[in-house]
Amino acid sequence: MKARLLSVAVMLTGVTLGLMGAVENVAVINGFPVITADPATASDWYDTEVMYNLYSPLVYPSPDGGVRPHLAVSWEAVGGDLTHWRFNLRQGVKFHSGNTLTAEDVAFSMTRFITMGRGNSGPLGQVTAVVVDTYTVDFVLDKPSAIFPETLALFFPVEKNLVLANIKKPGPYGDLGDYGEEWLGTHDAGTGPYMMTSHIPGQRLDATRFLDYFEGWSNEGWGPDEVPIERLVFIMETDYTTLMTLLRAGMLDLEINGGWTLPQLREIQEDNRLRLSFCWAQNVTVWMNSKVPPTDDEHFRKAILYAFDYESILGPWAEFGNGETGIILPNMPGYVPIEPQPRKQDLERARQELALSKYAANLRDVKVTFHFCGGLDFEEEVGLQLQADMAQLGVRVEVAGPPWPQYSASCSAPETTPNLTIFLFAPQAFPPHDYYLYSMFSASGLGWIFSAHWYFEDPEIAHLLDETRAEPDPGRRMDIYRQLQPLIAAHSLAFYPYQKPTLFAHQAYIVGPKESIAFVGPSENMHNWRINLKLKQELRG
Amino acid sequence: MAKFIGQRLAQSLFVLFGLSLLIFFIARVVPGDPARAALGFLATQDQVEKMRAEMHLDKPFVVQYYYWFTGLLRGDLGKSSYTHRPVTTDLGQFIPATLELILFATLISLTVGQVTGVLAGYFRNSWFDGLSRLISYLGIATPSFVVAILLIFVFSQLLRLAPSVGRLPIMVAPPPTVTGFMVLDALIAGRVEVALVALKHLLLPAVSLALIHIAQEGRITRTSIVENLDKDYITMHKVHGIRTSRLVFKYLLRPSIIPTVAVIGLDFAFLMSNAFLVELVFMWPGFARYAVTTMLNKDLNAMVAVVLVIGVTFAMVNLLVDILITFLDPTIRIQRRGG
Repeated sequence: MKARLLSVAVMLTGVTLGLMGAVENVAVINGFPVITADPATASDWYDTEVMYNLYSPLVYPSPDGGVRPHLAVSWEAVGGDLTHWRFNLRQGVKFHSGNTLTAEDVAFSMTRFITMGRGNSGPLGQVTAVVVDTYTVDFVLDKPSAIFPETLALFFPVEKNLVLANIKKPGPYGDLGDYGEEWLGTHDAGTGPYMMTSHIPGQRLDATRFLDYFEGWSNEGWGPDEVPIERLVFIMETDYTTLMTLLRAGMLDLEINGGWTLPQLREIQEDNRLRLSFCWAQNVTVWMNSKVPPTDDEHFRKAILYAFDYESILGPWAEFGNGETGIILPNMPGYVPIEPQPRKQDLERARQELALSKYAANLRDVKVTFHFCGGLDFEEEVGLQLQADMAQLGVRVEVAGPPWPQYSASCSAPETTPNLTIFLFAPQAFPPHDYYLYSMFSASGLGWIFSAHWYFEDPEIAHLLDETRAEPDPGRRMDIYRQLQPLIAAHSLAFYPYQKPTLFAHQAYIVGPKESIAFVGPSENMHNWRINLKLKQELRG
Repeated sequence: MAKFIGQRLAQSLFVLFGLSLLIFFIARVVPGDPARAALGFLATQDQVEKMRAEMHLDKPFVVQYYYWFTGLLRGDLGKSSYTHRPVTTDLGQFIPATLELILFATLISLTVGQVTGVLAGYFRNSWFDGLSRLISYLGIATPSFVVAILLIFVFSQLLRLAPSVGRLPIMVAPPPTVTGFMVLDALIAGRVEVALVALKHLLLPAVSLALIHIAQEGRITRTSIVENLDKDYITMHKVHGIRTSRLVFKYLLRPSIIPTVAVIGLDFAFLMSNAFLVELVFMWPGFARYAVTTMLNKDLNAMVAVVLVIGVTFAMVNLLVDILITFLDPTIRIQRRGG
């Protein structure tokens, strides 16, 4: 009996090994749940990571914080009022179907994007697309925008005829049925470096290399054994214990969401078959609500800013790249350090500020509420640290972690927003400077959790923010971004405990990214990575 | 019997209607903005308002329920704001994965639970009875996800005998979906080797889920066997010198199994909604995991559908159990005939 059981076990193991085969040119990537693979509805950063592999944006983010030609080779504002933009398209770009990209496809995609009104279309406003000739398209905006070309780093054209052939009727868009939304959830109509072969939403997405990708597959700048990755398998796992098991067993090649715990990071660091790297970080931001007591008092907010012990909270994480940050991330061009400098606790200064606040006389009656998203330990740590720090000043801080729906809903209006709310903001909208400044500090910005400080009264800030969207010269615009940071910081609307790098954990044989861009998406474009099969054979074969 | 089934079906429909009203209301009053959740972080306020109108969230509750209910009558449960697909498509994908798992788990718990229960009962107060009692207590007291982690550590990490991730190895392409049951679909596609591997992947999660039920069902069967062993008709059979195997299987097992059958029905439906942690630990892309994800994302249509599916499962399984018990227990059969 024992022998029979053993032989069954051996047979099953053999079957598994046989199915898995030898070293393959494939990268298994954990990409969290891809919520939608349709470029018109994709919005979360996980979607954007997949978009950059299956589709190509009209313009491509560059390391200097601007954009460079991609599907569009050049662009210009027509007429000078920044409401009319002309884009000249690259010729000879192939869709995965083999058909050539034209202005018809780009105009159709823009109309679809705006009509559906979802995903990342919000910042564009109303846009009318007009085909000028086969390779020229005009976009007419409802309001002037100097940053319009930059916002198109999240606009991914689809193949018009393929989408039209796959619309489902009836649907919410009249003759256009569902505008191909259901079909595009499990198929692609793009021009990107990889082609979708299958997609089971919430489970996995398989893609294969597109040999006719318009940027080609040159090996220039790569090592002799580093070759393009042939197949991508995006798995979608949220449990980091399971991911650790997969990574160590060689069943996972690259993890791009970076939710590792400290012990896990150390384990990865100590394993010489694994690597850690990062291209973009997330800003840990604690908003201070300027409309409810006691954080409605600027001196009280400053007291919090100086009382917080930045060094203690950073301690164990510093070796993994966590560090000082400000209104924008330190690896973004134009970063200006903000108070407190140096980044350390200053209780004396905090006491001085507290004494100047209108609550100085009755500190015992004051209560500060600090809310974090339930389940996120690092956010809770910040709250508990602040609780201990403020206790030294005689101020009570109440720390609570409601679940996300409740937490985010509380930030819908100033009166329901707690005194302090903590968020993690990744650079996921383009241009990222606009996202961290205009979207968060303008009354016409994104509001909600992005502006849970609720302070829009400073006319100089409002004017400069509007200027950023009206200034066509990127250099001068960058100057305004620099000018804005200390002005905003002077009101103490937030404190920034640290930047949290999104650490890509990967096998040593997965090499990249070649180009590091502080923005979600391009760094995870696998055209930017290679695989060393020889090393894979040595390590895992 | 037809009248009984008809009555029970009518009762079930009434309960399900009440359940749908309740969950429809609860889903809408818990904090969170489903329109924003559906649109993602970068949506503007205008887009959020437009989405609220599309989802009928700007209408009174009764009107919202009317839209949903008329959709249900057409077999349309609405669209998931999380996956952007029809909820029915999602259910068709996720339910079979969980059903396959819990059917396998039920098969294991039924077989092992019955055998240990019968043996422990027949040889009551023996060393086997003592040992099975001890193991049962441990099984009942240990949550499934703890069992799962232990099983992974021993059988996957140390002995490397069974896989601990997903329904198939990552690099193996799944067979075309026919039933949604991986093992069956692989066999239908003629890929026996994939079916064997899928079976191997089922093993640890199914055992994790089954253990608590093995313990529970084993104890119930044991108690029932002990109770029936003392009955006069068994003593009479023994006096007539009927063989032990015949005594157990023909005269003892049938009446003793009735309480277990009632429990198995409830266990099955319970597993449908409570397999979440095991599905999480084993990266099992199933219904329980989908249910929790949609709840966390305030996906209104999916939330209501998930609760309804669980309600329907409870109702149907209980109906089946009642029918089965009627066949197993002649006294109930006679009562229902009005005898």
